[in-house]
Amino acid sequence: MDRILVWDIFAVVLAMAVVLLLIGMVEAPPNAAGVAHETVSAMQAGGDGASRLESIGGLAFAFQSLVLLFAILLCVLSVSPARRSPVFLGWMAVTYAVNILVWQQMYFGHQAFLETGETGWFLGFPAATAWQVYGVWFAGVVLIAVYSAGFRNYVLSEDDELRFEELLREFGDSRD
Amino acid sequence: MEAFRQEIILGAIVLYMALCVLIGLWSMGRTRNPGDFFIAGRSLGPIVVSLAVFASTLSGFGFVGGPGLVYSVGVSSFWMVVISATAFGLGFFLVAKRIRMVAELRGCMSIPDVIAARYGSELARLLVAVTIVLGVLGYLATQILAMSVVMQAILADTETFADISLLSCVVLSSTVLVFYCVTGGVIASVYTDVLQGIVMMVAGFLILITAMQAFDGGLREASEIVLADDSESMMPFGAAGIVTSLGWFFVFGIGLAGQPHIVTKMMMNKNLADNRSILPLSLLGYIVSALLWISIGLVMRAVVVGGGAEPLAQPDDAASTFLAMFASPLLAGIVFAALFAAIMSTSDAFLNIGTAAIIHDIPRAVRGRPVDNELFWARVTTMILAVVAAGFALFSYYRDATLVALLGAFGWSTFAASLFPVLAIGLNWKRATTAGAVAAVTSALAINFVVQLAGVTLPWGISGGLAAFVTSLVLFFAVSFATPPPTLARDIDRMMEI
Repeated sequence: MDRILVWDIFAVVLAMAVVLLLIGMVEAPPNAAGVAHETVSAMQAGGDGASRLESIGGLAFAFQSLVLLFAILLCVLSVSPARRSPVFLGWMAVTYAVNILVWQQMYFGHQAFLETGETGWFLGFPAATAWQVYGVWFAGVVLIAVYSAGFRNYVLSEDDELRFEELLREFGDSRD
Repeated sequence: MEAFRQEIILGAIVLYMALCVLIGLWSMGRTRNPGDFFIAGRSLGPIVVSLAVFASTLSGFGFVGGPGLVYSVGVSSFWMVVISATAFGLGFFLVAKRIRMVAELRGCMSIPDVIAARYGSELARLLVAVTIVLGVLGYLATQILAMSVVMQAILADTETFADISLLSCVVLSSTVLVFYCVTGGVIASVYTDVLQGIVMMVAGFLILITAMQAFDGGLREASEIVLADDSESMMPFGAAGIVTSLGWFFVFGIGLAGQPHIVTKMMMNKNLADNRSILPLSLLGYIVSALLWISIGLVMRAVVVGGGAEPLAQPDDAASTFLAMFASPLLAGIVFAALFAAIMSTSDAFLNIGTAAIIHDIPRAVRGRPVDNELFWARVTTMILAVVAAGFALFSYYRDATLVALLGAFGWSTFAASLFPVLAIGLNWKRATTAGAVAAVTSALAINFVVQLAGVTLPWGISGGLAAFVTSLVLFFAVSFATPPPTLARDIDRMMEI
């Protein structure tokens, strides 16, 4: 299973590299990475958001989706194959789904603002930014919950600890 | 109280530094061998490790550069902060269990030790050790410079020390740092991290409360002002744009598991099972402290674009101007102490791993064994390393900033690009080969060097660090697949089954 998983991870890495390359090949507008603020020195402004998302918005969306998939697949790789139960894989799928949900709400919320100029507000921030500030944090907390709550099931069971102690006894004398 | 503002700030800093010195003295008696000096004898409890992990993560950059970045490019810089939950989660999944196991199985004291054990290669150890030394010099120089500049600014406002030189401030601030690092090694480092972590959390929380009161309408009013001025700055990708933002997410988030000063702490816990509580505690500490980053930057941008204050001479003035405008002397004192705590907690971690690389890893890679009397030489090397870094800092300030800027490029993104594949993936994938590891480290170093030296600007705000990171990942997998499968040592092979 590890072999297939690692090839999947490598495929995701290659896809990320290709998407990044494609982004680099698209001609960038002057404000692609910000421009000097009109009135305040030492400050940058974003300018016309629609123009700088027009040509690479889809690629950037794909890049981030791949990055999130990469992170989740690496978490799966870190768990011993014997402990990758359907329940664990289900939790990893849920974690990815939550991350993607937050990402698409943020991205399309921003798009909607660019089209209408209107935004809702949540706890001090415009809706799309609130998805970033609170949503990205929350999505990461799901991953942490799986780690901490599922620690004995997926990360290190009591049997694993015994196996490790046995390993220490066996190889203790051959340490460098 | 306002009349004694500078004295109160100075008092808070002196009190904090005195506590650091006391911790150094207390730790001295507990540091009996190199294992104690470098990894605290793997004897630390979960709360100590949690605070050490997050305090090492948040450097002086989080207190000065972070708010400055929000002031400068708006919400773009939030990405470096909000990624923390995923970053810590991924880091613990990939590294925490296995690095602790290798450390105990092979008696490892450093990241290059772990790399050598995993790959059975002294070349891999040497490459990683050299990368760490270069990065440590750059990081330490910038941290010492930041600490000294802040100290000079504070002292210059007092009557007694109005004319104090930067050199004196470098000596003053470095002396405290070196004292506790030399006397107590990493034991002093982690216990000062506990103090530093607590100070940073208190400061972060109090600053958030203060920032929310800066405008009658709270943070929403600040956001509305920024949005009205330049809407993109208040939207999720900020002024710096989507590619820069996502690059920061990738390098700062995924790359956390490749930061030697952070993952070294994961070797120090007494019990493997403690990782289950260390992870959420570390994240909690980081989030509370990082509130300062977001809230100060946002409020200062709103104040300036709203006409409430003159534009700042430079973005890094955001934190000090905020404190002058909105904070009571006592809060300012706590925040300045927290700033020193943030700088010192990262610096002591770098001093420790840099020393390990110099006296433990490079000699082992070159001549097959460490230096004799490691503990003595560890103390001497810590001092020399700090003096050299302080020298770099002064040279950079007075003469030429190129060298430190170059070494500074060996910061977070180079560690992420070079060490993440080799360490975080390598500890979980048996098929990873030494050739793959060497390709990943050398490509990361080369790309970062070229981008920095040649001043290459990539389109769309793609950073050299992002390009290096993705390239090193591709090469790590491709070269590993293209070379014969490795034969792992039996203990490592069986450890990776667990």
